Order: sequence, then C-alpha cells, then structure tokens
Amino acid sequence: MSNAQIEIQLILSLVAVACALPGVFLVLRKMALISDAISHSILPGIVVGFFITHDLASPLLILMATLTGVLTVVLVEYIQKTGLVKEDTAIGLVFPSLFSLGVILIARNAGDVHLDVDAVLLGEVAFAPFDRWMYNGMDMGPKSLWMMGGILTMTITLLSLFYKELKVATFDAGLAASLGFAPMAIHYGLMTVSSVTTVGAFDAIGAILVVAFMIVPAACVYLLTNNLKKLLIFSSLLGIFASISGYWLAHAMDTSIAGTIATVLGLIFFLVYLFAPNRGYISQWYKEKQQKTEVALLVFLLHLANHEDEMERNSNHLQEHINWSHQLARKVLKLANQNNMIEIENEIISLTPKGLEFTEQAISYITDNKNSELEGIKQNYFLFRG
Amino acid sequence: MEQKIAISIDDLTVAYNYKPVLWDIDLQIPEGVLMAIVGPNGAGKSTLLKSVLDIIKPLAGSVTVYGKPYKKQRHLVAYVPQKGSVDWDFPTTALDVVMMGTYGALGWIKRPGQAQKKQALEALEKVGMLPFQNRQISQLSGGQQQRIFLARALVQNAAIYFMDEPFQGVDATTEKAIIQILKELRKAGKTVIVVHHDLQTVPEYFDWVTFLNVKKIATGPVAQIFNDDNLTKTYGINYKTSIVE
Ligand SMILES: Nc1ncnc2c1ncn2[C@@H]1O[C@H](COP(=O)(O)OP(=O)(O)OP(=O)(O)O)[C@@H](O)[C@H]1O
Ligand SMILES: [Mg+2]
Repeated sequence: MSNAQIEIQLILSLVAVACALPGVFLVLRKMALISDAISHSILPGIVVGFFITHDLASPLLILMATLTGVLTVVLVEYIQKTGLVKEDTAIGLVFPSLFSLGVILIARNAGDVHLDVDAVLLGEVAFAPFDRWMYNGMDMGPKSLWMMGGILTMTITLLSLFYKELKVATFDAGLAASLGFAPMAIHYGLMTVSSVTTVGAFDAIGAILVVAFMIVPAACVYLLTNNLKKLLIFSSLLGIFASISGYWLAHAMDTSIAGTIATVLGLIFFLVYLFAPNRGYISQWYKEKQQKTEVALLVFLLHLANHEDEMERNSNHLQEHINWSHQLARKVLKLANQNNMIEIENEIISLTPKGLEFTEQAISYITDNKNSELEGIKQNYFLFRG
Repeated sequence: MEQKIAISIDDLTVAYNYKPVLWDIDLQIPEGVLMAIVGPNGAGKSTLLKSVLDIIKPLAGSVTVYGKPYKKQRHLVAYVPQKGSVDWDFPTTALDVVMMGTYGALGWIKRPGQAQKKQALEALEKVGMLPFQNRQISQLSGGQQQRIFLARALVQNAAIYFMDEPFQGVDATTEKAIIQILKELRKAGKTVIVVHHDLQTVPEYFDWVTFLNVKKIATGPVAQIFNDDNLTKTYGINYKTSIVE
C-alpha cells in the first residue's frame, strides 16, 4: 500500500464514523430526509464562502456553509409550522431552492471559481492526499484528514457529554422538556453537528456519499440491535468496513471510489433488510404466515368445540364444512395434532383436554378483549415449537 | 381548614397555528387530591398538561407550582405522557426507560450510576415489572409499557404527578394495580392529576375532578360536581341515560 492509499482509507474511515454517529440519531428521529436536504442546500454557503476565501478548507467557508445547513432546518420547520404543508413537502420546497441558488451562483461566476456542481455532489477522494497542510514548511498530511479528525473529535466529545440528554430528547421529547433538557437546543445542536460534518466531508467525498454514510449504516444496524450504544458502535464499524472494502473494489475495477462505497452500502442494506433475524423482510413474512396458520388453527379448534355432532367432526367432511383448501386443512390438522390438541378416532376428530383448555382461553381473549396477553397464551401452549 | 394550592393556572390560553385549543383557563388544584381531567377527544387535556409542564409555550396566562414558576419547581413534578407519544421501537430496555426518570435530579452532563439503577429497580418492583427489566420496550405488551411509564414517574420521586391516560389499553388487573399505586401516592400526601376517559370509574377512583372542553367547565370534589349537568355541558350529549349506576 502506498502512503496515499493509506491516507485515503483513513480519511474515508474518519468520514464514515463522523457521519454514522449523528446519522444514528437522525434515523431514530425519522429525519433521514433532513440530511439529504442539508447536503444539497449547503451549496450556496460553500460558493459564497469560496468567493470570499478561495479556499475550500477555510474556517470561514465552513462556518458559512454550516449556517446555510442550519438555515435549511429552520426554514423547513418554519414552513411546516404554518400547518399548510407536511414536513416532507417543506423539505422538498426548501432544499431545491437553496441548491439551485448555489448552481446559479456558480454558473454566473464560472470564470472566477474552480468549483463545479459535480465536484460538490460527488467529490473525489482520490485527490484528497494531494491537498496537503504545510506548516512552517513541514508536511503535516492531507488537509481533509485534519479536518475530519477535528470534526470527529468534536462529535465524540459532544456525544459523550450529552449522551443522556440526546437519548431522552430523542425517545421522549415531552419528558425531556419537562425535565428541563431543552429538546429544541438539543435538536439544533444535532442539526449543527450534521451540517458541520456534511460541510467538512463534501470536499473529500461529495455530498451524496455523506448522506449514504449518515443514513445507511444506522438503518442497517437498527434492524439488528435493540441497544443504542451498540447501534452507535456497529454503525461506525459498518461505515468503516464499507469504506475500506468499497475502496479496494473501486481500485480493482478502476471506477469511482465514492460511487462504489455507496453501492456497497446499498447492497449491505439490502442483505440486512432481507435477512435480519427479527425485523428483516423474510422473518416478517414468515411470522405473518405463521399468524395466518395460527388463526386457522383457532378457527378449526373453535369449530370442534362448537359441534357435538360427530358428522361435523368427521375428517372427510371437515374440509367442505370449513371450506378450506386441501393444503391448508392438512397443515392445520398436522399442527393441531403435533401440539396434542386433537385426537382422531375412526376419522372422528375431537379436542383433547389441552385443546379444550387452549380454545377456552382463546375465546375469553377474543370476547372480553381485556387480556392483552395472547402472546402469553401462545407461548404456554408451545405453538410452532413442539 | 384552608388547603394549600399545589398548582395554580391563571388565564391560560394555548394555540396551535394560531387556533386556540385552550381558552382562558383558570384552575386551582389543591394539594393532596387525586384528580381526574375529563373531556372529549381534542378537548385540550394533553395540551393543558403540556403547558403546565413547560413543554409548549402558552399564548397567554401563567402557571405556578406551589407559588413559583414551573421552571423553578421541576424537581417537584413528574410526568407520564400519553403512551402513543413515543416510539416504542426505540432501541432501549425497560430498565433504561425507567432510569430516565432520574435524569432530572442528575441535571446536565452527569451520568446515571449505581444509585440511580437501584432507584429504577425499586420502581420496577413496585409496578410488578422487575422480571422484564432487560426486555426491549417494543416487546412489552401495552399494559406493561404503561407500567414502565408509571415506574419512570415514581422514580422522579415528586410531589405532584401528571399522567396522561395511564389506563389506555391496559387490562382490568393492570388498571387495578395502577389505581392502587395512585391511591398510595395520595395517601403519602402527593397530588396526582390524571387525564381519564372512562367516566364510569371516576367516582370510584378519584376524589376531585375537572371538566374540560377548550374552556374549563367545572372543577371540584367528585361528590359535589360529578353530575349529569356538567357531563352534558362537557360532552354536549345528554348523560342522564348513558351513565348507569
Ligand atoms: N402539535 C399540534 N399541532 C397542531 N394541532 C394540535 C397539536 N397537538 C394537538 N393539536 C390539536 O389541539 C387540540 C387539542 O389536542 P389535545 O391533544 O390536547 O386533546 P386531548 O384532549 O388530549 O385529546 P385526546 O383525548 O384525543 O387525547 C386538538 O384539536 C388537536 O387536533
Ligand atoms: Mg390527549
């Protein structure tokens, strides 16, 4: 590995973590769209800052662009507060306006500035190692490395100081307010950190990848864990993993680094979405199917409990009486049998004492609807387990 | 004997998007009552609680807690929000949610430690949820979630408790358990204010009641003012036949 390669991977990893941490809270607050809005609407701030300073890494530019990011949030909330449009509409109104303002500014001054929209949106991390910070003639390393290192340090410091406040304000803003934790201040703090991170990262990796780094790792790990700390740690690790694997993949295929990383992130999300143990698509689908069979089982048992008449309980006639497909009827019969809820004698099906007890409890659940513990009943009878 | 006033609300008007939902409310809540706030959906019950607790800024009027503004008296007040107001898929456990009740006493930046954990465990025990302490909160039933919220308020160890529909979606057993705890709080001299929907149980559970529908209709002892007249004024339909003894 060359020095430049190591530096690129370091920068990418720093950006990944710096984005993942605020990203977790954006996802939990259902504000993923806001990061997209910020990443676009900082453009006019960047352009104006660049006119003044002619340096993409200057603190003044970062400050101005960050302010534009926070301004986006303020405008969105202001429009939303009028009650005339919903939040997503408000976002859709604000950021294209600000973004196009930036595009116009660039177009009008194309001769004076080395800045184009593509570079802002896509970035080019391969060039990051060439923009170096010289201090007293000494080479201190790439500017982006320092910038992202600084931003990440700030984020981690704030997060460890205000972890508890951020958690309670995100989970229950009402309680946070009543306890005096100023959820609005925390909200704007989070927005400012997100803006600073976006601004600091866009030069190296582009605005699109910033959004991917903020949202995708958090959204993936959210499907896998029930613990906020783990969510923060594993989102960061996932971001680093996608950065490094994406980098080498892009290297091998000789293609855009940012694009490849974003694709890797997308693929990872797709896999997690399908296969996550509890909240994944397949497991949800399986659960739904189980529930359908459970309901069918209950209907079947109720039928048995309701009919003394042996004719009604003859296995040959049951199918037409309940009017089920052969397949479903067999599945339900098998399930009931496996759970020792029925016994079959001379083709006559009757409930066992266990089956009767289960049916009675289920009926009382359905009729008075007071007992919120159907899950408990199911567990007591080991449906689908024995 | 002159009773001390726990909460005093004067000329309170609250609006969302300039549409008033609470209009010129005057309300004195005496110390030590177990009070129900009743009124139809959208009457502004939750809004009233939120404006007392400084969660929303009123358009006009003022609220005092034992004679001082709420901001100075936070430590005296605990709050149970309406259950639907939070995201139960949030990645956290029952114990952790109850611990949040200790954050107020901790103040900014300081982290909860063993002492806070002990308080939280005691509160979980009190509401019968100790075995569920490490459950992820989305895997609790509606009644269990409500008990967790109650435990979180108990941990705040306050003088005044505000609860927004604590009986929503709970079964008869949980309802009995919760009301038992509320009655114990009152016995300990605390003031408990509950937004309540089941009119049948008002006389049995509460000793004080406030009728609210945008305006305050009436407030006072259940024995004196919980009658058809006030119910009709509040709900707009004749209650003579609806409430059966
Ligand atoms: N954030 C909000 N923005 C705009 N309007 C709101 C908001 N919250 C509440 N409202 C409106 O204010 C009115 C009072 O709401 P509130 O939640 O206080 O009623 P409530 O008495 O608690 O009703 P419920 O019994 O349904 O809980 C309603 O008309 C509601 O639509
Ligand atoms: Mg309400």
